[in-house]
Amino acid sequence: MKISFLLHNAYGIGGTITTTFNLAQALAERHEVEIVSVLRHREHPSFALDPRVTLRPLVDLRQEKEHELHLRPARVFPRAEYRYGQYSELTDRRIGECLAGTDADVVIGTRPGLNVHLALEAPRHVARIGQEHLTLDNHSPRLRGALRRAYRRLDVLTTVTEADAGTYRRKMRLPGVRVQALPNSVPDPALPAADGSAKVVVAAGRLVPVKRYDLLVEAFAVVAAEHPDWQLRIYGTGREHARLQRLIAERGLYNNVFLMGAAAPMEAEWVKGSIGATASDFEPFGMTIVEAMRCGLPVVSTDCPYGPGEIIEDGVDGRLVPVGDRAALGAALLELVRDDERRRRSGRAALQNARRFAPGPVVEQAEELLAEAVSARRAGRQVARGRARMHQVLAGQGFAARDTALTAADAVRRAIRRGQR
Amino acid sequence: MSTEPRVGCAVDVNGRITFDLAARPVEGEQLLLRLRPKKGRPEQTLHVLCLEPAGDGRSRAVLGPQPVLAEGRWDVYLLRGPEGERQRLRPGLRDLRALVDGRLRDWPSPLAVRIPYVTKDGHLAIRAWLRPAHAEADGIDVTDRSMTVTARLHGASLGTGAAVQLRLRGRDGAVRTLEPQVASDGRSLSFTVGCAELATATGTGSGVWNVFVLPEPGAPLIRVARLLDDVADRKEVFVYPPVRVGGTVVRPYYTVDNDLSVEVTQAD
Repeated sequence: MKISFLLHNAYGIGGTITTTFNLAQALAERHEVEIVSVLRHREHPSFALDPRVTLRPLVDLRQEKEHELHLRPARVFPRAEYRYGQYSELTDRRIGECLAGTDADVVIGTRPGLNVHLALEAPRHVARIGQEHLTLDNHSPRLRGALRRAYRRLDVLTTVTEADAGTYRRKMRLPGVRVQALPNSVPDPALPAADGSAKVVVAAGRLVPVKRYDLLVEAFAVVAAEHPDWQLRIYGTGREHARLQRLIAERGLYNNVFLMGAAAPMEAEWVKGSIGATASDFEPFGMTIVEAMRCGLPVVSTDCPYGPGEIIEDGVDGRLVPVGDRAALGAALLELVRDDERRRRSGRAALQNARRFAPGPVVEQAEELLAEAVSARRAGRQVARGRARMHQVLAGQGFAARDTALTAADAVRRAIRRGQR
Repeated sequence: MSTEPRVGCAVDVNGRITFDLAARPVEGEQLLLRLRPKKGRPEQTLHVLCLEPAGDGRSRAVLGPQPVLAEGRWDVYLLRGPEGERQRLRPGLRDLRALVDGRLRDWPSPLAVRIPYVTKDGHLAIRAWLRPAHAEADGIDVTDRSMTVTARLHGASLGTGAAVQLRLRGRDGAVRTLEPQVASDGRSLSFTVGCAELATATGTGSGVWNVFVLPEPGAPLIRVARLLDDVADRKEVFVYPPVRVGGTVVRPYYTVDNDLSVEVTQAD
């Protein structure tokens, strides 16, 4: 098969980029694979990409930031999408041309707006796989409305958790579209696993409010008080940096908690630690949890929707604590800090249990989905067999009606706010 | 795409660096380490390492504890072709876990530290320190009027009359001398810097005080620094809260060389 991924920006750092690279590289063992990056802002990607995977940027911001068409708003890319501000008539045009001229058998979109492009603009003979790395419930009603209309023209829609796949089946009416969970994969680590002896807790992710690094810093205070030789290292960059730095100073944790800046790849950083930590309020998947576990770290995480609970087995290969509960998070960290044997045992369990996220098992599932979509396209039939049952149809219509009402209410609220200014 | 190869590396507790290149060794290819010269100066110090096959289509080069690297930044190149053309290398995985708790070990004299790191332009390089003796800073406790630093000596010990000196950078003569608390092993010490006194000693304007240990009268000064872990660039990572005294702000910080200094600035 010739497989083409459509990615927002292959040159940045983030879970979707990592997982797309991982899947692309694993598929490149047996297939011809390319990644089309809508945007490019630097010479090299942050993550090393297997040379067998072709990387093709569409808009180079270093030269085209001021391009006349890039200054005009996008019309195909949906307005309600999170990254709408980064898209333009230029991206609309380039993506459209790219899809029209593609020689791939299957194109895989990697975010809602790109899935919409794919659904509307892919040639008839090309199989269309939409990947959802975020979650349906987190989308605005307006975006859900836009996706509801476009996604019917996809062949397959993948989510990263079973929970989100269930939500899509329940709330969207997508007859003929196969909705299936396909977890992110993490390659086999190249370095030996951590041995549990380092007195370092490691966390990684963008420094944004939803990740709740403030909660993690505060929770770590109990660890630092009882075990001053332990460190918390937080890797990543983002707009919360200054606020977190102030919090670390206020709590007197500057000898124990460090904002390490960006690290890509994280593997060499995980193995310097012996516990991983996530304090998010919301985690569509939880890529860093799997990465840490694959390096032999037990992970303490909030049990937030949707990923952590499908990755961590509480008390075996990590801990799950209630969302936003500083005391519980601190206590769970302390349990593993205090007990060397328990920490090592949990680390070994993490290493073992996270093998299900190795590329092998995940890529097999992906290949099967892709092959099925391609052969269904060729035969001119739908991928999802059978019709949607009547109650699903009705339920889907109910959610659609509710989103329409919410969208209208949003518009009214905005109009009122405008009037008040 | 770049054609610059990637090279991973691993460091062991003795500072031995094993470079791992994702390509079979080609006859005549070697790794070159070059001490980065100051701007406009010629390069002087080079080390060349053999590349050997490591199986699995990879090659390996080892930098043992010898030669001792001079202090500075060492760029890493692949030497290839008949003319020995140089090619810079992109970083692969850097396994530095053996360095993380380096401060818990006793280091001999001279202290030689090497930390592989990634340059701003995305290439592999090695940060090296070479000092006859070293005072490793540990915790810094900042209150609303003082800062207390704990440190440990390597390659020297504290005798009678040991002192801590703060020397004002770039101005002749300004020295503040403090008496440290010395542990019974003659290695560990702590000292407290009064922020108001330091602000007064700085005079008008701003200043930077470099921190030294004088192990005994007449002995060479030992710079207080934090070198014994895996963090090559500490300045933006180990950040301490500022202390406001009157119209000035006093703040301990690590320099671009990971040395400890105290900055005194006028508050806005």
